[in-house]
Amino acid sequence: MKTAVGRLGGWAVRVGVLVAVFLAAQPPNRLTAQDSQFGIKGLGTPGRWESVRARSTGGAFAPFDAFSPLTDASLADARRMSASIAGGTSWRTLEPTGAAQASLRATRFPALVIAGPVTPRIVVGGGFATYLDRTFGVSIQDTINLRGVQEPITDEITSDGAVSDLRLGAAARLHRRLALGFGFHLLTGSSRVIATRSFADSTNYRTSTARDEVAYSGTGGSASLLLDVTRDVRLAGWLRTDSRLRADIGGRQVAENNLPRTYGAGLQWRAGTQAAFAGTVMWRNWRGASPADSNSHDTFNWSVGAELGSLGTPIRFGVRGGQLPFGVGKTPSEVGYSAGLGRQFSGGRGRLDIGLERLERKGTGLTERVWTFLVGLTVRP
Amino acid sequence: MRRFGWLVLLLAAGACTENVTAPGVCPTFCPSGSISIHDTIFAAIIGRDSSFSGYLQGYQSTLMAAADSPGVIDSRPFFTSQTMIRRIKRAVDTTTVPISVDSLRLRLIIAQRSKEATNLRLKLFTLPVTVDSTSDFASLDPYFTAPPVDSVSVSGLLATPGSTDTALTQFWRGAQGICPACIDSVRVDSAGNVLLMQADSSLLVYLKLDTLQAPLSEPDSGRLAFGIRVAADSFASVRLATEQSSVGGGAQLNWYFHFADSVGTKPDSVSHSKQTVTTRFDSFVFNPPSPAIDSNLTVGGVPSVRSLLRVALPAFLHDSIDLVRATLILVPVSPVPGVPSDSFAIEGRNVTTDLGAKSPLGSTFNTTFVHIGSADTVRLELTNLVRAWTLDTTQVTSLFLRQLPEAASYTQARFYSSRAPAFRPSLHVTYVKRFAFGAP
Repeated sequence: MKTAVGRLGGWAVRVGVLVAVFLAAQPPNRLTAQDSQFGIKGLGTPGRWESVRARSTGGAFAPFDAFSPLTDASLADARRMSASIAGGTSWRTLEPTGAAQASLRATRFPALVIAGPVTPRIVVGGGFATYLDRTFGVSIQDTINLRGVQEPITDEITSDGAVSDLRLGAAARLHRRLALGFGFHLLTGSSRVIATRSFADSTNYRTSTARDEVAYSGTGGSASLLLDVTRDVRLAGWLRTDSRLRADIGGRQVAENNLPRTYGAGLQWRAGTQAAFAGTVMWRNWRGASPADSNSHDTFNWSVGAELGSLGTPIRFGVRGGQLPFGVGKTPSEVGYSAGLGRQFSGGRGRLDIGLERLERKGTGLTERVWTFLVGLTVRP
Repeated sequence: MRRFGWLVLLLAAGACTENVTAPGVCPTFCPSGSISIHDTIFAAIIGRDSSFSGYLQGYQSTLMAAADSPGVIDSRPFFTSQTMIRRIKRAVDTTTVPISVDSLRLRLIIAQRSKEATNLRLKLFTLPVTVDSTSDFASLDPYFTAPPVDSVSVSGLLATPGSTDTALTQFWRGAQGICPACIDSVRVDSAGNVLLMQADSSLLVYLKLDTLQAPLSEPDSGRLAFGIRVAADSFASVRLATEQSSVGGGAQLNWYFHFADSVGTKPDSVSHSKQTVTTRFDSFVFNPPSPAIDSNLTVGGVPSVRSLLRVALPAFLHDSIDLVRATLILVPVSPVPGVPSDSFAIEGRNVTTDLGAKSPLGSTFNTTFVHIGSADTVRLELTNLVRAWTLDTTQVTSLFLRQLPEAASYTQARFYSSRAPAFRPSLHVTYVKRFAFGAP
């Protein structure tokens, strides 16, 4: 018995497996990666398809990381049955132009990946990630004329949920230098929406509350490759396309929106056994998704990062930049800095990653600053 | 390590608390949809409205009005008491002896009065004990115009500094006293009349009477009948509690008497005792009488009149909206006559099924107040009632208007009905349209 337990790698591994199984069986509604006020006016805030390891490097290692849901080809590096989950807590400060500052807080589970080889050359994986975050709440105070009297009112519109990306992917190592990956994506999820209007004169006016649940559905496909140009240099390329995103209330379609095509490329350089550097670029044509909507913008995002130190205790840091797809006026921009640590335990069967990310988003009328603390757990039972 | 573990758990618990709502910076950072409110007066959805009379008579009411406004109204309450014992059993044997009355105290409860009334007085008149529900203003008028047997100045008593004499306060307000729940001091005038105040501001007035003013009549079995008139320099109007308000809530007579008794070693000694008798019948008469109902909507008066309003609720109010306020608008035909300081409540209450005059009352209601002499439009908030109608299409969309309490006063309001198109009853509705969820 003791031997069996030891083989499983101790309590941390067992807890990790249980959490992974539970979350895989039913993705939590709060699957969102990162809320942003810039997503309120559009379809939402795009999620980050990155593990904590990749996110600590600014996202630069995501196309090369088997536990980041960004590419399918990277699954080929999962040589054993493994699972990884990421979670994070964000503290967000909003600084709207000409209005009061506000501080918000949220905890999320942005990604889960489970992968394992089915043959020596083919690895199958799956999990969930956030496609679009739909969690926000706005409180609006105003005065309206009702029955000839100026009546102060407070409107509160909240949405709690996300469009989740359930992925089933496979990667095949066709050559020792080339791996190809393909994925099928099921977009699902829902958001609980509530609109409340309350009146200062609560004696005569009753509070009005409307609530509903919006269900989202769609499908997508992805393809990617990893090419080892040399022993130390690896190239990655990926693309993804999705169907239209359908929004239903009570089984009745209320909206249907195009989703963007995604293209990306990355380069990784291993400078010896204790240093690796990577960089990525990614385009998404969100404007094509909603051509009639002047508030949607095509985005270009980049990231650069490094991982230093031994495999057991690496130090990571990175920087990212780019644009956000939704915002009135000019395209909102984003700059982020991140750092993190990793620690293997149980003889390499488990790994704990922690990270800290600082983001600054700027757009017409708003600056948003975010601190995010990330925790990731990877287990190989 | 263990302490560190607790710290991690604490941090995790703290991190799980969420706050995702921020002040909206609109329209830039708000959802494209907005909460849309509408305000509409439905002028022609109330119809088939009628008034019906005879629900309650004056003697069935919980209050009886006393008012005197020359040329406008003269309202006079009256009551008869229960029978009073004339003999009492001695303590030493089974024989009875006659009692000798020393004095009486008549208790009246003034439930409502005008705080602005000056020199407010109550006058007591002797009536024949045969008065009943058939007695009217004309038949009782000779008794009310005779000299009063007693009177008490309520204003005078209220102006009297309250007594702090322990013997007095213990008798009236002590734990075993007559009114332990009464608040404030015990006020006594020079004639021995007493005034106590209750927590709801109602007044308990005790009039001291002697045997000449209230003789114990053997032929009448000790029953007495009194009428009450109110007088004041202004705003002469009060409402007295009746026996229907609660058991013992009407006028009450406390008889104080003595009789010859033999107690232990004291043969032929005198014993003192008291007996309380309650009201047997109470009502009030007034002049001029309530006018007959006509094509208008009538509410109040004696016998009580109710008006039934039927509302044809538009179909769109049943779905896709959230009703936040509904107000029934009633235009008075003329100001309600009466003592200017008076007011009365009008209740709008749903009916569980529409059977015309005999429609059973439901449990959803709202009230508003109508002031005497005011020609203002009356607005009755019916939000709860109309909300229930919008949510449940099986409900009967009719309501009764009635005075509260019914048949307690001469006051009667008249409103234009649907037969008068320019002034017909209308429903003012404020509603929020369904929010367009789902769109970005």
